[in-house]
Amino acid sequence: MNFQKTTLANRLTIIGEHNPNSQSFAAGYFVNTGSRDESATIAGVSHFLEHMMFKGTARRSAEDINLEFDSLGANYNAYTNEERTVYYGAVLPERGKELLDLLTDMMRPALREEDFTIEKNVILEEIAMYQDHPHFLVFEKGNAGFFNGHPLGNSVLGSVDSIKALSVEEMNTYFNARYAPNNMTLVVAGNYDWEKVLAQIETQSASWQALETSRTYPEPHPKDGHEAHNDASLKRTHVAFFAPGMSAQDDLNYAASLLASCIGDSSGSRLYWALVDKGLVDSAGLHHEVADGYGMFSGYVSTTPEQLEQVSSIFRQELLKVEKEGVTAEEWKRAQRKLATSLTLRSETPFGRLMYLGASYLYNQSYKSTSEIIAAINSASLDDANAILMRKPFSQLYSFALQPS
Amino acid sequence: MSTTIRQHTFSNGMTLLLEEMPWLSSASFTFLIPFGSANEPRDYEGSSTVLNDWLYRGAGNYSSQELSEALDDLGLRRGGGTGKEYTTLSGSLLASNINEALRLYADIIRRPHLKDSEFEPARNLALQELASLGDNPTQQLFETLSGRYFHSSHGKSTYGTLDGLNRLSPTSVRNDYTQRLSPGGAILSIAGGVQWETVLKQVEKLFSDWSGSGVTFPEVVITRPHQEHITQDTSQVQIGVAYQAFAPSHPGWYENAVAIGVLSGGMGARLFSEVREKRGLVYSVSAGSRSLKNYGYTLGYAGTTPERANETLSVLLSELRKMSQGISKDELERSRTGLLSQLVMQGESSGARATSMARDMFLVGAPRPIEDIKAQLNGLSLEHVNQFLSSYHPSFTVLTLGSEPLAEVALS
Repeated sequence: MNFQKTTLANRLTIIGEHNPNSQSFAAGYFVNTGSRDESATIAGVSHFLEHMMFKGTARRSAEDINLEFDSLGANYNAYTNEERTVYYGAVLPERGKELLDLLTDMMRPALREEDFTIEKNVILEEIAMYQDHPHFLVFEKGNAGFFNGHPLGNSVLGSVDSIKALSVEEMNTYFNARYAPNNMTLVVAGNYDWEKVLAQIETQSASWQALETSRTYPEPHPKDGHEAHNDASLKRTHVAFFAPGMSAQDDLNYAASLLASCIGDSSGSRLYWALVDKGLVDSAGLHHEVADGYGMFSGYVSTTPEQLEQVSSIFRQELLKVEKEGVTAEEWKRAQRKLATSLTLRSETPFGRLMYLGASYLYNQSYKSTSEIIAAINSASLDDANAILMRKPFSQLYSFALQPS
Repeated sequence: MSTTIRQHTFSNGMTLLLEEMPWLSSASFTFLIPFGSANEPRDYEGSSTVLNDWLYRGAGNYSSQELSEALDDLGLRRGGGTGKEYTTLSGSLLASNINEALRLYADIIRRPHLKDSEFEPARNLALQELASLGDNPTQQLFETLSGRYFHSSHGKSTYGTLDGLNRLSPTSVRNDYTQRLSPGGAILSIAGGVQWETVLKQVEKLFSDWSGSGVTFPEVVITRPHQEHITQDTSQVQIGVAYQAFAPSHPGWYENAVAIGVLSGGMGARLFSEVREKRGLVYSVSAGSRSLKNYGYTLGYAGTTPERANETLSVLLSELRKMSQGISKDELERSRTGLLSQLVMQGESSGARATSMARDMFLVGAPRPIEDIKAQLNGLSLEHVNQFLSSYHPSFTVLTLGSEPLAEVALS
């Protein structure tokens, strides 16, 4: 396995992790843009644009794109979050060149008005779908509450009103400002020929113009305490929890993930024994999520309205107990082993590797092999955990409940 | 990379399958044990899911917490769950830890404590999961649709029912354990960086003296095609369609797999293209195969807002009906390429291989090597597939869930 990297004359960065033994090839454009880069008037444009990127280019119709992906036997899709938009596919190595041609062509979309009008309905349906899934909605609303006006709290989907009001011209302006080659990274993984990839992309992206892009990093002032929203149609109470964590650029973020695993992994964690094992909730968990310049712990429980108070209080107490007393060496070791297994499994396919490579490169412009990441996890210590806990993250816990009225 | 599948059936009826993937440092295993909601004791709906959870709450020389810690010490990532015909207990870990993991699972399966004190929490968890369905209309639709489609006990939900769960007692579930957890028909499937001889020896030591006769499976009986609506206050209408297809052992299995690919294999497939791309009616639309031991069926799905629901259902059904008019050469090639490509990518992951070998063994009596599936797919001609489709005219059971009923539709 070896790492390769280059930046073309138009300032498009290409990185690759080459594994000649792989039976597949994965590629993805990681664009450094998401809902945090949107103003309120264009809320949801990053995600809507992601849909529109599949709707045709100068030389392909929407149907051509879909049929071509299918003809390649590709496993493909795209996603948008608060800070990146990613277009990806995995194919057998012999179809790699065609996959790259398609993905690269898609990065310069036609954005036709008639496609925009039809796709707007699809976005509105997607928003309606999530309205019926409170375990998703509680995070969207809770995230907005926690970030309290900071752009990381922006909704990825946008609102019905912002989507209805959006024009294709506004989308075009946003596209031109954010999809400059210097704000994008092409990531390849698995079985490929590096020189051929470079030659192909250099030719195909020759007309792309670099342009200064920026992202603002206002200081977050996250909320603490508890808020709730009543919805008579709900059967259960869903609660999302948030607390400050470590940013993607902070070396302590491995320790933060381990700490979250000790507290809230799906098996054998503090929250598991306190809540799931007792049958008080159907699920309870805590994760650590990194972002560009920020990081947070986020957790979730779903329970009956009657048990909400008890469950919320146990959840908070467990976190505060860890904040005060730390975790044991045995818990730490177990968390390290579980995380190492998960990483190993995810890294076994080029597809799994692609996602990790792209996200971490966008954050840090650096590369870590799977064995380097596992080594970093294994060298994270209880001292690191205590350094995080010293900042009293869980004393600043914010919770948001969606509950039947 | 070509691999071979090793297989051994012990005299007690349990089968061990293994695919060596020597380039991997991980291994995955799946215990498939044929106890599921379809062969649950009468009136005790939910016994399987409670039993599955109770098994982990202490076994052999380990208390519940010690057992969990021992599994976590191995870095094992747990998986599995209860289905209609079987329950799986599965895990992935570093290959060097496989023997120790199997030893712990022998305790879980053969020597669970099933202590009274751990029963209520296990039942409560099942009750919480059942209640959670109320806030997941899509899942609720599928659970209910399966109840409406099957007349036989295959329609029972793996979540159980409120009455069934409340009726369970430690004694009833312990009896269920004695009757249904047995080596007859049990499958242990392993894939990854492990070696046959070592694993065989360990499994022999742990399981060859396990005894018990195994379970029987009821015959599948389906209801007459009908249309039904459940009124519920939701933003979107959930639309589900169920219709008969082909058992995995049926000669038409591969033709049908290709047809499902044409309908729903990717963004270029018919349903996505007609319902979402051309008309903007939905975010989500799909069709997928479901398999039971001697039975196959297809589930279609779409979610849309009320004002578009009638049109969505009508376009969905007309696309399903249109399949009997046949597919084009291009469609056959796209669908075939998609299936072949998925197969190769599945072959890169130990977890995917362990799961599919166990499933094949259960459904068709033998694991299917990837090369065999490839050969079958490559052997399909357009003429043959279209001949097959022209004689296949399914009738539909339609269930919708949302604020208002939909117009009546033709069910064939």
